[in-house]
Amino acid sequence: MENGADAPASVRAIAERIAEYIDRLGSVWVEGQVAQFRPRPGAGYQYFTLRDLSADMSLSVMIPAGKLATLNPPLEPGQRVVIFAKPNFWTRNGSLTMRASEVRAVGLGELLAQLARLKEALAKEGLFAPERKQTLPFLPRRIGLICGRASDAMHDVLVNAKDRWPGIAFEVREVAVQGTNAVTEIMAALAELDAIPDVDVIVITRGGGSVEDLLPFSNEALVRAVSQANTPIVSAIGHEQDNPLIDFVADLRASTPTDAAKRIVPSFLEQQAIITDMRTRARRTVSQIIDQHHQRLADQRARMRVMVTHRIQRDSQQVDHLLAQLRTLSPQATLDRGYAIALMDDGIVVRDADDVNVGAHIDIRVAKGRFTAIATEEGSTA
Amino acid sequence: MSEDMSFEAARDELAQIVAQLEQGGGSLESSLALWERGEALAKICQTWLDKAKKQLDDVSED
Repeated sequence: MENGADAPASVRAIAERIAEYIDRLGSVWVEGQVAQFRPRPGAGYQYFTLRDLSADMSLSVMIPAGKLATLNPPLEPGQRVVIFAKPNFWTRNGSLTMRASEVRAVGLGELLAQLARLKEALAKEGLFAPERKQTLPFLPRRIGLICGRASDAMHDVLVNAKDRWPGIAFEVREVAVQGTNAVTEIMAALAELDAIPDVDVIVITRGGGSVEDLLPFSNEALVRAVSQANTPIVSAIGHEQDNPLIDFVADLRASTPTDAAKRIVPSFLEQQAIITDMRTRARRTVSQIIDQHHQRLADQRARMRVMVTHRIQRDSQQVDHLLAQLRTLSPQATLDRGYAIALMDDGIVVRDADDVNVGAHIDIRVAKGRFTAIATEEGSTA
Repeated sequence: MSEDMSFEAARDELAQIVAQLEQGGGSLESSLALWERGEALAKICQTWLDKAKKQLDDVSED
């Protein structure tokens, strides 16, 4: 149709055009969860909001009251339903409503069958493979915790973890853990925590509940988000026997919140004992090494003593020997027999008495010592 | 002759003196002189040996 700033279409024309487009979709089967429903007793039509199972998108639905009445159990928020409806664009006010002619509850059996098919599909994709599992850090800098508001599960994780390793830091996100908002809130919290650099592990936990209550934890979008998260994820959902699909893609599945707490932090007491033990062993080893050196040193000192003693003895003997030889070769023996040696000033031995003048200083050497004599007379050879 | 002389030097000289006297041929003067020097050298040696023994005894007390 002709249209421009100077040839605009009327509201009516556009509204009717839009209605035509929308009408072309025809009737479709739609599955979702009931978000808001306020029954209006006595009204011909009932209205409720049908929300996507994962995404934050919803449609208004209207259905003849009679059709709704046949639903057993009666419609209530959070319930998963399938409707057969035609989108209707109200030209009066530009709103869109799905005019449903049928509504069916998605029964538990059907739900479980859907889950089984989803599980098979995901397994075939390889999302459950052991190689995909990341190992948890030994001591995380911070622990991300996604849990129900003021829940026992939250309390169990926090208390037990802090008991095991006092001072461990948590980054907690309290969310809806069942009902229509659970999946969106959990995925938002997961994205937020995954992005924080020092959150080294994320725990997703809630207490026990019915199959319907735990359904959000088997939601395909949530399960895929967990499988793709960079941070290692621990799932602790429900009781030991519960196995929502999140358990299969998590890097670690804990049976309870308390169990999760034990596996995300080491025990301070255990680590302390290990360190104390290592220090004792190290000290003992060093002590042994010191003793060995000490022993070796003592041996060396003893050997040195022995060698030096021998050396001194040898040298002593040598000197004694030399001295004895010296004395044997010296005039000592002759002197011992009573002879004396007379020496002049200049050290020359007196052989001729004529050489001695009156007053001359004579150096007399005897067996033991020496003394000086002065000649009182001329010496003579007569 | 100084007390700075080492034990080895004193002992070696003493040995030399003994060797010289053994050779004989020297005069009485020279024998006397050698003998005197020899005794002095022996005294130096003895001083060294006494000092060494004392050191040994001192250390063994540790």
